[in-house]
Amino acid sequence: MTNASRTPSAESRDLYLPVMAAITDIRKMTEFETLYEITLPGGAELGHQPGQFVEVSLFGMGEAPFSVSSSPTRKGSFEMGVRRVGMLTDVMDRMQLGEKIGVRGPFGNGVPVEKFKGKDVLIVAGGIGLVPMRSMINYVLDNRGDFDRLIICYGARSDGELLFTDELKMWADDPRVEFHVTVDHGSTAWTGHTGVITTLIPGLDLDMPQTRVLVCGPPVMYRFVLLALRSKGVAEENIYMSLERRMKCGVGKCGHCQINSSYVCQDGPVYHYPDLKGLQEAL
Amino acid sequence: MVQYLLEDSRVVDFVSHLQACKTVYAPHRKGTSSFAFAPVDDPTAVVLDYNRTLHSVKKYFLPPTETLLSFDLRTNEFTESEIVPCDAVFLGVHSYDLRAVHKLDHNFRQENPEKNYLRRREEAAFVGVSFEPDAFHFSGSVGIGSRDSSGFDVFLTRIAAGYILTAHTPVGQELVDGFVMPEYTGDLPVPPGFKQHIYVPQDKLSEVFEHSYRNDVWLETAEKCVGCGTCNLVCPTCYCFNVEDTVEITIDGGSRARTWDGCMLRSFTEVAGGEVFREESAARQRHRVYRKFKYISDRTGEPWCVGCGRCNQACTAGISIVSIVNRLVNDYDREVVETA
Repeated sequence: MTNASRTPSAESRDLYLPVMAAITDIRKMTEFETLYEITLPGGAELGHQPGQFVEVSLFGMGEAPFSVSSSPTRKGSFEMGVRRVGMLTDVMDRMQLGEKIGVRGPFGNGVPVEKFKGKDVLIVAGGIGLVPMRSMINYVLDNRGDFDRLIICYGARSDGELLFTDELKMWADDPRVEFHVTVDHGSTAWTGHTGVITTLIPGLDLDMPQTRVLVCGPPVMYRFVLLALRSKGVAEENIYMSLERRMKCGVGKCGHCQINSSYVCQDGPVYHYPDLKGLQEAL
Repeated sequence: MVQYLLEDSRVVDFVSHLQACKTVYAPHRKGTSSFAFAPVDDPTAVVLDYNRTLHSVKKYFLPPTETLLSFDLRTNEFTESEIVPCDAVFLGVHSYDLRAVHKLDHNFRQENPEKNYLRRREEAAFVGVSFEPDAFHFSGSVGIGSRDSSGFDVFLTRIAAGYILTAHTPVGQELVDGFVMPEYTGDLPVPPGFKQHIYVPQDKLSEVFEHSYRNDVWLETAEKCVGCGTCNLVCPTCYCFNVEDTVEITIDGGSRARTWDGCMLRSFTEVAGGEVFREESAARQRHRVYRKFKYISDRTGEPWCVGCGRCNQACTAGISIVSIVNRLVNDYDREVVETA
């Protein structure tokens, strides 16, 4: 640390100014979740990695973090799956095609895709956790030769809350995808598996040293999924997890997303499980 | 280095001399027993003998509220706010407060250098003054003496007749140029001692904190804490912030501002949907103290607390970070060192 009084700021940047981007498609997924396609000025690429997030702002409502739901292999725009839970998302819910939102990012540490190449990819997604995981799923599908098996375990509270239903059907019908879905409480029309997401794991046929796992879901889910994976014999060093926190600035300054000594917006949201083990506040 | 004598009778002239060069910020009386940095209007109102100001000079580089941009709701366009550098002299700064500025420099420069803070900060010049430790200062325990002049452009050391003035940088030399003072050739009196201490060598702190995560002190402190966040508010090294939009009554536009925030407030970790990731007060107590003595320190090798004593003095519940750390050290010695 320097004791010099003067601090050259030549290399410093505007960290908090958004780029205005257009909503170019809106797809209602459930009563509460909507998928937005966002196009940056001039069709510029966002340049993200699967698992990264952006800060979205609406003037007058403020700014909040959203994970990117599309794969970087799908060019020209990006997608975000948004759950209506607060003021900002309430207003977003009423927005029309062509309207503009502020975007900063992408931020954070995404999925280390190189570690998954040549491996069996197991994705465990609970509820809205499928939104960021869809980026990785489509990344694998678009680079299918780079990966071995693609196994998806997806759980939702009810069949009415399943997200990306068109794509779920495609994944179920795709011979290159081993797709497992469950709901906690099925309606009378539901003929699939019922039970929490961990009930899908014991039945999986996994080639253990070959499998790399990526987990994302509500906070309560992680410890049970980790227990199920341990019972299955998955080594800790083969597990990656994406965590949710209040990433307010996205650039490691504001302090809101800190888990012990780690800033989720810098070190996460995707963590290697062994790195999380020293962070008591993580789960 | 030449030492000059700035006699008490010439302090006002010296302030006027500085004012002729630049805008000057200095401590002023605030109410009957408090002090605050403010721009100098009347040089006779400047107080150099003070215990501590309510806030440090941080407030000029990281303002409590800082407008980042203004927006027009009719056009959905925004205008970036201008960042005005503090091309000014900060007079009467204590050693621990300048050290805190250096720590903030690190925080805002590392990884993603932040223009807002660094621009405001880059032109600032500092004229320090020594202080007499009161019942709350403990900066000596974190390596910052009451006469520590490191990083200052000019430093004033209190003696009976006035101040010993030394210029430490070219900028400092420029500030005193043209102000005639006699040279001081006498000895420096022994500095007054600190009344508060953290009883642990700094290189052992990391180990102590490694061991203290589940100490009862967090729960015991939580029982006293009212959760007001004042300790964050007055801390010269706290820099966490929130960003919020405000809409004008005309609803034609508004602004986006960042405001100081505090990890002691329950809402600090709340996300949309209502999940609070640091729900228990005890966890928030621990987080604050770990931020000062472990999380950042593990990376930088030094405590992120400068021992100003503000959090202790301002706490309505009488919570003392010194008592907490000394308790952790005692428990560590008893549980780890003695049983080893």
